[in-house]
Amino acid sequence: MNPVFRPLGDLAEAVRTREISPVALAETFLERLERLGPRYNAVVTVTRERALTQARRAETEIASGAWRGPLHGIPYGAKDLLATSGGIPTSWGAAPLRTQTFPADATVVRRLEDAGAVLVAKLAMVELAGGMGYRQPNASFTGPGISPWGNTWSGGSSSGSGSAVAAGLVPFAIGSETWGSILSPAANCGVTGLRPTYGRVSRHGAMALCWTLDKLGPLALTADDCGLVLGAIAGPDPLDPTAAARRYRYDAAEHTGRRFRFGIVRDVAETAEPAVREAFMRSLEILRTIGTVEEVTLADLPYDAITRTILMAEAASAFEDMIESGTITELTAPEDRYTAYARDAILAKDYIRALRLRAHVVREADRVLSQVDALVGPGRPAVASPLDQEFRSAARGNVPDVMGAIGNAAGLPAIAVPNGFTDAGLPTSLQFMGRAWEENLILAAARAWQRVTEWHLRHPAV
Amino acid sequence: MSEPDRPERETDLRLALIRQRYGDRLTSEQLDVLRKAVGALVEQAAAMRAVPLTNADEPGQRFAAFRADE
Repeated sequence: MNPVFRPLGDLAEAVRTREISPVALAETFLERLERLGPRYNAVVTVTRERALTQARRAETEIASGAWRGPLHGIPYGAKDLLATSGGIPTSWGAAPLRTQTFPADATVVRRLEDAGAVLVAKLAMVELAGGMGYRQPNASFTGPGISPWGNTWSGGSSSGSGSAVAAGLVPFAIGSETWGSILSPAANCGVTGLRPTYGRVSRHGAMALCWTLDKLGPLALTADDCGLVLGAIAGPDPLDPTAAARRYRYDAAEHTGRRFRFGIVRDVAETAEPAVREAFMRSLEILRTIGTVEEVTLADLPYDAITRTILMAEAASAFEDMIESGTITELTAPEDRYTAYARDAILAKDYIRALRLRAHVVREADRVLSQVDALVGPGRPAVASPLDQEFRSAARGNVPDVMGAIGNAAGLPAIAVPNGFTDAGLPTSLQFMGRAWEENLILAAARAWQRVTEWHLRHPAV
Repeated sequence: MSEPDRPERETDLRLALIRQRYGDRLTSEQLDVLRKAVGALVEQAAAMRAVPLTNADEPGQRFAAFRADE
């Protein structure tokens, strides 16, 4: 069996039945990471020694009948903002931190180890998760993230998490999203990315960009894969006070066979690029085969301004020492070396007003989402940009993104799935956004989508 | 009282703080970029201030008292 581009369910069954060994799996993906990773600037560190130790342990356990579950023996990559022990660097994508190490694993890394997964790589990311205001792809000491679908940007800030999954360098990856950092690389790389509800997954050991916006989640080939990974990483954590006490169990059978009720925010695709808008309009016809589609109306609030104010103020505080000391001048993107100075001009009362308005956003989002199973919209308003050009970004304020602004301010789950390709062969994306804690519902909708479409089965020639 | 019709003046005042703190690190071109960024901050603050709030509108996150033994 060729394990590359196989969904996790297939790999798990092959490992469980000993058709393929965890060591052979690890060797396959380690070789691909080492050979192909540089082509896409996707990798910071290949964790060969740790991977083979974990894979041999998995092999021994499975041979003795102790199968831990669907991730046992499965390789994965972690965005390089997740702390890893054993001297493996955690660079946060930033040149001045490229040798930074931590004494312990992030909770997500530890939970994946408990599930038997095999860490094969720390994956490239935009420096400081894009928190310094980057405007173009070359914003990491590992170089611009490159999509395997063309010489275009892989998206950010979870750049390597998107491109490594898309190129078959890892079966799944962990990314993080503050505003768009899972959905954007999923869209640009033509893979599936799940942003869980804020508090569903512990952030302990992850670089903080914005304490009230940061979320960790998987990127993989399918919605089912994302559910399997979320099942392993979700849950309470005494080390992260924002991790909710709610337990989570992924159930691939839940909601199967039902018809869904989808909502669209009026004009949600109006400002998207033509190819994205056209793909979205075609998607609506397909969505009507698995459910109903109706327009919903949102209260008139300055959603983008609220989320952007929270993001900029918290990021300025999280990296205050780097900004004030001038360490940011060592960053890769020229604009990242000074743009953050502007955030000293955010007034405290403006930040607090954003937090007070956020309470309205949360209630308004829940009111609308209580009427439907999911809101649908483009996963990203633009297709992947050329590597040498500035891109449009909602977080920077040069393209509106009402679903991203609401979804991240309100901490709502969303999943991005491929929904087509442009004439130039670049992927486009559709997102399903759900009510808080309804990951299983949007996963079911995304699984239903992937049962009636085939874009997620296409893979780039690498 | 604020002067809502004078965003340019407000931008200049906020930019003066940045110039005071970091001016020795910045070129004139970078200051131009920062002026646009500060102008955007002023605009987004104005958009938020246009939404009426009452005294009862609390921030969308809660403070919790703490005891180490609980």
